[in-house]
Order: sequence, then structure tokens, then C-alpha cells
Amino acid sequence: MPDIVLAAENLTKSFPSGEREIVVLDHVSFTVRQGEAVSIIGPSGSGKTTLLGLCAGLDVATSGTLSLMGFKLNAMDEDDRAYVRNQFIGFVFQNFQLLATLTALENVMVPLELRGEKGVEARARELLERVGLGDRTHHYPSQLSGGEQQRVAIARAFITAPKVLFADEPTGNLDEENATRITELLFQINREEKTTLVLVTHNLELAERTERILQMKGGKLVNERILTVA
Amino acid sequence: MIEYIIKIKRKTKSLLRDPWVWRMAWRDGRHNASRLFLFIASMITGIAAVVAISSLNYSMQQELNRNAKELLGADLVIKSNKKFDSTFTALLDSAAVQQAANADMASMVMFMNTGQSRLVKLTALEGDFPFYGDLITLPDDSYAKVRTGRYAMLDESLATQYEVSSDDSIKVGSSIFRVAGVVRKIPGGGELTSTIAPVVYIAFSELDSTGLVQYGSRVNYNLFVKTKTEQETTDLLKRLRPEMKQRAYSFDTVEERKNDLGDGFRSVYRFFSLLAFVALVLGCIGVASSVHIYAREKRDEVAILRCVGSSGWQAFNIYFIQVFALGLAGSVLGAALGVGLQQLIPLAFGDLLPVELKFNVQWVAVGEGLILGVLISVLFTVLPLVAVRFVPPLSVLRTDFNAERVISKTKIVTLFLIVLFPVLAAAYQTRSFLAGSLFTAGLAVALGALTAVAAVLLWMIKRYFPRRASFIWRHGMANLFRPNNQTRVMLVTIGLGAFIISTLNIIQSSLLNQVEFTGNSNQSNTILFDIQSSQREGVLKLMDQYQLPRNQVVPIITCRLASVKGVPVEQIQKDTSLRIPNWALTREYRVTYRDSLHLSEELVKGKIQWRGGGVVDSVGVTISDGMQETLRLDVGDSLVFDVQGVPIRTFISGIRKVDWPKDPPNFIFVFPTGVLEAAPQIWVAATRITDTQNANRFQQELVMSYPNVSLIDLRLILSTIDELFGKVAVVVRFLALFSIITGLVVLAGAVLNSRFARVKENVLLRTVGARQRQIVRITLIEYGYLGLFAALTGMVLSLAAGWLLATFFFEIKFAVDVLELLAIAAGVMLLTVFIGWFNSRSVLNTPPLQVLRREG
Ligand SMILES: Nc1ncnc2c1ncn2[C@@H]1O[C@H](COP(=O)(O)OP(=O)(O)OP(=O)(O)O)[C@@H](O)[C@H]1O
Ligand SMILES: [Mg+2]
Repeated sequence: MPDIVLAAENLTKSFPSGEREIVVLDHVSFTVRQGEAVSIIGPSGSGKTTLLGLCAGLDVATSGTLSLMGFKLNAMDEDDRAYVRNQFIGFVFQNFQLLATLTALENVMVPLELRGEKGVEARARELLERVGLGDRTHHYPSQLSGGEQQRVAIARAFITAPKVLFADEPTGNLDEENATRITELLFQINREEKTTLVLVTHNLELAERTERILQMKGGKLVNERILTVA
Repeated sequence: MIEYIIKIKRKTKSLLRDPWVWRMAWRDGRHNASRLFLFIASMITGIAAVVAISSLNYSMQQELNRNAKELLGADLVIKSNKKFDSTFTALLDSAAVQQAANADMASMVMFMNTGQSRLVKLTALEGDFPFYGDLITLPDDSYAKVRTGRYAMLDESLATQYEVSSDDSIKVGSSIFRVAGVVRKIPGGGELTSTIAPVVYIAFSELDSTGLVQYGSRVNYNLFVKTKTEQETTDLLKRLRPEMKQRAYSFDTVEERKNDLGDGFRSVYRFFSLLAFVALVLGCIGVASSVHIYAREKRDEVAILRCVGSSGWQAFNIYFIQVFALGLAGSVLGAALGVGLQQLIPLAFGDLLPVELKFNVQWVAVGEGLILGVLISVLFTVLPLVAVRFVPPLSVLRTDFNAERVISKTKIVTLFLIVLFPVLAAAYQTRSFLAGSLFTAGLAVALGALTAVAAVLLWMIKRYFPRRASFIWRHGMANLFRPNNQTRVMLVTIGLGAFIISTLNIIQSSLLNQVEFTGNSNQSNTILFDIQSSQREGVLKLMDQYQLPRNQVVPIITCRLASVKGVPVEQIQKDTSLRIPNWALTREYRVTYRDSLHLSEELVKGKIQWRGGGVVDSVGVTISDGMQETLRLDVGDSLVFDVQGVPIRTFISGIRKVDWPKDPPNFIFVFPTGVLEAAPQIWVAATRITDTQNANRFQQELVMSYPNVSLIDLRLILSTIDELFGKVAVVVRFLALFSIITGLVVLAGAVLNSRFARVKENVLLRTVGARQRQIVRITLIEYGYLGLFAALTGMVLSLAAGWLLATFFFEIKFAVDVLELLAIAAGVMLLTVFIGWFNSRSVLNTPPLQVLRREG
């Protein structure tokens, strides 16, 4: 097992805009070790979501290299990246992104079923139990509150026992009480499963619970703080 | 840092070996099928129309083929308009085949019970006719009685109409016959023929005694021959052919009768094929557009699936399975519905056809429908669904992220097959590859034109945007060119629907117009014919006595062609390369002479050289335009006529365009005066009857004094024909309705499909405080625009397509019912607006929050 799970080197992303190019990410380099929890903070529009999308292989960089679990994502085709995501990555999004036509239980089962594994239902139930939704397994997303939906999303993210969990403003759409619950849940499972966590947030309190904070500004990595967790 | 292999060896599973995909298809589809309602509706109506129409086609073909022998009543019928000469009959006798004969002619009969008279077709029968099919009479022994002599039988409808029963008598010519009974069914008969020309049957041996057969009477003699095998018919024909040719006899075999029937129904078949094709195309449009929208709606879901690691193909397969399963179900339902509808068609057809149609389930048609259904559910769903494969997973982070368009191999192959599909389908329907390609080209042009109109329209609205208009107008118009909207797709689909429906309407009008009778305004409504020269003065005097105008009194001389352009007719017959039909060469021509153009005629070429000149070397005659084409003649070509054995040399001096139904009688050849006056001739007089009672008395006296003179009441025929075409029109409209319903489903679909794009916006508008009325108006403006331009474009295109189809495919005159077309355009527009409004209602009546939540 390599120590470093994520390595970005001179990651640059630009979008054509009329004649000019807008550079959204400008030569960003950093590494993340196995089991680490890292947060990315910065003002709105500084390129956090863009960076996360690149790290998770949802998008391709304009230049620079990125390797995740040793896979060079830039050099792979979309379906191969999908495979890597399925094998090693979990996601939690600001707007939950559950499949509206599937029940909570089915939503949680999807990633494992995709792998072709059998007997996934028991594991999905157990996870839903763990996030406190044992009695809501057959509800559809539209029948759940935002906080509940995000808990289903967390259960879905962890069911594959991912090596890295990416989260983009996981509490952005939630009230304080729910936000706290989700945060606790995230860190708790993260510790238990020894997952690497990459977290994008505006919330400094949340950021300070991680071991490292990467600070973005105008597409550049401007500061890196290393905190020791109490 | 260690780096892993770049290319991962994934197990790419095929559709069939990936249970997850099937499970997801089911889970996603179970509550969601209503979103594919339009898809399945297009499928059902499209397939139903195709199955119903092609079943009808097959049924008709099958029945006509099956009945051809019974329609003919024999294996071979030899025809002549002279009595068969004895050497010929001796030759036939020596062949030892079963024979029967008949002769028929038009004649007046008088019903002795009431004294009324009517023109009928008089048929004199001899022998055991018919050999095939049934002769059903009431009472059973009627025909046996007729064969003994002084008995006659008549068509049941005629007997009913004139209240004739078994004991009554009728006067035919100068003889009186007792009525033996009525004829219910006879080969070659049927309501169609018997309403136009009801038949009275007598024995062949009695024909001469009626005194009806005189010079100039048009009598058809038929010899019916029954053979044991088809081979025997062919052999016999081979032996008789030269003899028949020499005597200008013609013949009819079962095979030829089949072809004739086929020809007669060609326009009908073509129309049916066009209808089926149209239904199919509309179905395909409906399928493709609803799946296109479905795929769009599924984008977010696909993005999530891709995020958690499903491959593009897996995502595609999930929706493909759903759509394909529904497509199959739709095809089966559609085929069942089509079979059901087909059972209804005989109700509309009634007894229009000369044969009884048995509408069995046509399994070939059902099979075709199912195969088409499967093809459509693959071809027309793959193209819109392929987009699913390229949904960027990044959309989970950015909702409105649009990836660049990807042109994949699958897309290209499908597109190619899609273009090929209508070509093959049309080619199969019309049995012509050229027609198929042209149909498809026409559709492609229409599609292109609509796309262009959509683009121009959008550009115009942007360019001349009414900045100072009220909020509602600005918002309604702006809706047309918002990002992510459906204006283009909708304009094209609605326009195509309108285009197809109105093209169909034009073809229908043209077909119906073709058969419509223009004769109602004729100057004359009654025609007296077969007047002998010696009777001419007497008949005219009788007309004067009853104050009937002499609108036309024309002589008729019968003659035949002896040579054309200096080549004897016998020689032309041998030379098949000339492509002049035999019947045109050997037929008897009834010509007249006069020195002016009739009001139904127009000279289109040459001169009317009315005088033959002093010393008659060659006489200038005029010919009607139709026959001029058939005989391949032009002005200046020479013709030799055989007038009762006397050769008369002529040349074509001019060509007349003749409006045949207008003011009969009309003639193919017209001679100048001063040539044929001395030839044996009969006369025809045309008059106009207004007072029915006066007419009845005139008719009675005419039949008493001149029994051989026949009188046709054109009004009677016109009303019968009117009624007939009324029935035909009902059938044509009924069938066209199938296709139109499919079109409506597509229209409704196109508008409904745009709903999901609009719902969110309208909810937002409401959230920021727009009143219901404002939203309704915005919607009406937007859809009104769409409907108006789509309908107008479709209509303009359909005029072009209708003209092309009428002229080159149906070969009929192009006719438009402007009012109906405008009604269609208005209907399309209203329907668009209505459905648009109907959709926005669901937004208006639910609280915004619920919608926002549902749409997430
Ligand atoms: N597809 C695109 N085309 C053009 N510009 C883009 C595109 N995607 C992102 N951008 C730009 O990149 C910049 C960074 O966007 P990004 O979403 O990464 O910021 P962010 O740090 O996540 O902001 P926030 O905190 O508001 O979520 C923004 O200025 C945005 O406008
Ligand atoms: Mg962001």
C-alpha cells in the first residue's frame, strides 16, 4: 500500500472564454497521505470545486498530472475513471445527489451492486442503521428531509469502504443542528474505516477538525496549515 | 511513489450478463413509466395504423384474387360485338370444352303493372352459366324457366324498386315476358353494377324476337369456356388467338381479370400504402422525440450513476432496456388494436366492392407490425439515448454543465440506419425503391426546411426583440430562445406533424376531386340513343310535342381502324415495339360528323379542317387528346377507317381536349360534314327534362312507339354515383383518420415534452410573485408563436409535397381544399396552445414548494 494516495503536480485548469482563456486552477501541487483528513478552503470562485472535481476524476486537467491510488487519471478514458471511482472513491455532495427513483436502501446498494457483489442488502441496511435511518429504508429521497438525504448519501459513500472520500460542502445546504450531526457522522465513520478524507468547505470550524487545511485564492494554493488534532 | 498500470482491465459485461443493469432498469422504471406514456402512445397508434391498413390491403388483395374466377364465371371469356361466326364456333366445338354464351345490350323495359319504364342492361343467357360462383335466384327454378322461352328474371333491386312480382309481365322491345323471379347473386354482379345498370335476363334464343338488335345497336356477345386445367386454357388460347385476332374478338382470362382488378385498385393501394407509411413516420417521430426528452430528464441521474462508477454503456443499457420493453409492449398492443380496427373497416365499406370481403386476421400484417415495432424501438431510441453515455459526471458538481457534443461511432451507424429505415419501409410499402428514396428525400427536405425556419425565427425574435413590450410579452417571447429550451425540437416536430397531416388532406382532396362528378350543371340531363335514321323525324317530333329542347342531335357511324400512319392494323399488332394497345386498334369506334366544336371541347392543336375538299382524297378529322396519346398520333398523321367495308382515307387535322362528363355525348373522332352523310348511321338526341310527370308520359309514349330507342336519365346515374363516391369518401376519410390520430399524439407529445423544461421556470416565477393569469398568458404567447409558425411552415411545405405526390405518384390532378387546410393549421395551433396551457395548469395548482422539491 503506498503511503501517498493522492498526488497533484502543477494541476492547471483553464476554460476558453471568447478570445482569452480563464485560468481557474494555476499550477496547483500537493499530496495527501493514506488516512489523512484534508480540507480545502477559500473564497467563493477560488477554484475549490474545480480542484475537487479533478482530484476525483470527474474532470480532466488542462495540464499537470494527477495520480490517485497510483492511477494517472488524466491519461485514462472516462469509463476507466468510472471504474477507479467505483473501486476507491466515495462522494458526498452539497445537494445530496440521490437517485430520485430509488428508495434509500436501493440508493445505498448501487455502488456495490455495480461491482457485481452479492448479498449487499444486509450491508446497506447495517449502514443505514449506523446513520440512524434504519426505519426509513423504503422511503424515496423526496420523502426525506435534507439532513436525512445527506445521511443516506454518506451511507452510500461508505458502503464500498472507499480509500478516499471526497466531500464538497457536505453541510452547505443544512441547518446548524443537522450540519453538526452530519459532521460528526462523517468524521466518526472516517476514523472507523480509516478512510482518507478530502473536504471542501466554507466552514472554518469544520475545516479545523481536519489535520491539514489547504487554502485557495484565485486558483492558486496560497497557504497550507498543518494542525494537530486534539 | 509507485505508479499503477494505466489501462485497467475492466470486465466489460454484455447487456445480457449484467444483472445490475436489469435490476436498475426495473427499479427506475417502476414508478416512472408514465413519463414514457407518449412514447408508448406513439408506438401503439403508429403500429395499430400500420397493421390495420396493411391488413386491409392484404385482405382486399387476397379476396380479389380468390374471387377473380368467380367474378369471371369461367376460365376464358371470348368477346365480340358481332355475332360469333359459325366457323369460329365450330372450331371451339371441336375443342370439346364446356361452353355457355350470353349477349348484353342497353335497352328500355316497361313494367306492365305500372306502365313505368327504365333503361336496363338486357342480358340474354344460354347454357350452364356460370361455371364458377353462384347464381342465386328466387324462386330457385327461375333460370330453368327463363331457358324455356317467354320468361325473364331481373335484379332484385330493380324488382323491388318497381314493385315487380313473379306474376307480372315486362315488355322488352316488342316482346312481352312473364317474370320468372329475381336474381340475388350472379358472378360479375353486385350492388355497384346493378345500381348503375340493373339487369334483366332473358333466354338467348329470345333476343332476336325483341327486335332490339338493329343496325348500330351496341351488343356485346360473350362466349364462356370452362377448361379442366390452366394448361388447357393456355393451349386453347394459343390455337384460337389468330382466329380471334382476325375477327377482332377479344378475350378475358382469370389471370387478366386479376390484373385488371389490381389496376383498378392501384390508386387505392397507393393511398393505403401512403397512409401506412405516414403513420409509421409519425410513430417514429413520436418515439424519437419522447425518448429524446426522456434521456434529457435522466441526465442528472446518469451523472450520479457515473459518479459512483457505472460505465457509459451501463447507464445507456438501463434506459434502453426500459424503452425497449415498453416498445415491445406497445407493438403488441398496437398490433392487437390494429387487428381490432381492421374488423371495423367492413362496416364502413359496406357493400361497395363487387366481392364479399372476409376480413380474416392477416398474420403477415401482424408480423410486419411487430417487426416494425421492434425495429423502431431499437433504431429510434438508440439515437436519443446514446447521449446518455456521454453525460459528464462533473454535472453532479455543476448542474448546468454542458459537455461538448460527442460524435460516436454508434451515433453515426444509427443515423445511417435511420436514414435507411424510411427508404426501406417506403420501398416495401410501395414495392418501389425509387418511391421509397423519394419519399425519404421529401421527408428530409421537409425536416431541413423546418429546421431552417426554426433557426430564422429564433434569429428574428432575438434581432427584433420587442424590448418595450409588456413584461408578459417579453417573457413569453424570451422563453423561445432561453438556453436549454426545446423551441427547435418542438417547431420541427409540430411542423412535421402539421406537414404530414395537411399533405394527407391534399392527397385525399385530390383523390376525391378526381372522382367527383362535374355533370350536375350539364345542359342536358337526358339522352335518347339508338334512334334509327328512319325514326329520327318521328322522335324529334315527339320531343317537340312534349316541349323538350333539342340540345344535341348527332349522327353516329360505327367504323374500325384499317391502318395507322400507312401501316395496316394487323401489322401493327404483330409489332410489339410500337406499344399501341390492341384494344385501341381493334375496337369499334363510334364517330360523328359536325362542323363546330361542342361546348365540352377545346381545340388544343392543329386546325379544324371542316371540309373534306371537292375531290375527296384525304379527309381531315379531329381526335380527342386521350386517344391521341394512346394511338401515338400527331397532327398530320394518316389514318384509314373502315366504314362498313368502305375504306376512308383521313389524316389528323386537329386535337381536341374533351371534358367527357360534361354534356354528353362526346366523341373520340369527329369527321367534317360532307363525308359520312351517306353511310349507314343512327342518331343520338340530348335534351333536358325538368317536369318529371311530363317526362314519364314522354317516356311511355317513346317506348310504345319506338321500342328500340333507349333513354338514359343522367340525373338517376348522377345521384347513384354521388352516393357511391360519398361512401368511398367515408372510407378514405376513415382510414386517413388513423394516421391523423398518430399525428395528434405526436403533436401532443411534442408539447408535453417541453413541460419539464418549463415547470421549474414557472414555479420560480410564481415564487417571486407572478400571478396565475400572468403565467397563463406567458405560456399562451409562447406556445401560440410555436404553433403558428410550425403550422404555417408545415402547410406551405405540404402544398409542395401534395402537388408532387398527386402529380407523380398518384398521377391525378392536384386539388386543394383551402378551408380544410386552414382548419388544420388552426387546429394544430390551437392544440399546441391548449396542451401548453394544460401543462402549465399542473404548476399553477400545486404549491411551488412541492414542485421545487420534486424537481430537486
Ligand atoms: N465550465 C466553466 N466555464 C467557465 N468558467 C468556469 C467553468 N466552471 C467553473 N468556472 C469558473 O471557475 C471559477 C472557479 O469555480 P469553482 O466552482 O471551482 O469555485 P469554488 O471555489 O468552488 O466557489 P464556491 O465556493 O462558490 O463554490 C469560477 O470563477 C467559475 O466561474
Ligand atoms: Mg464550489
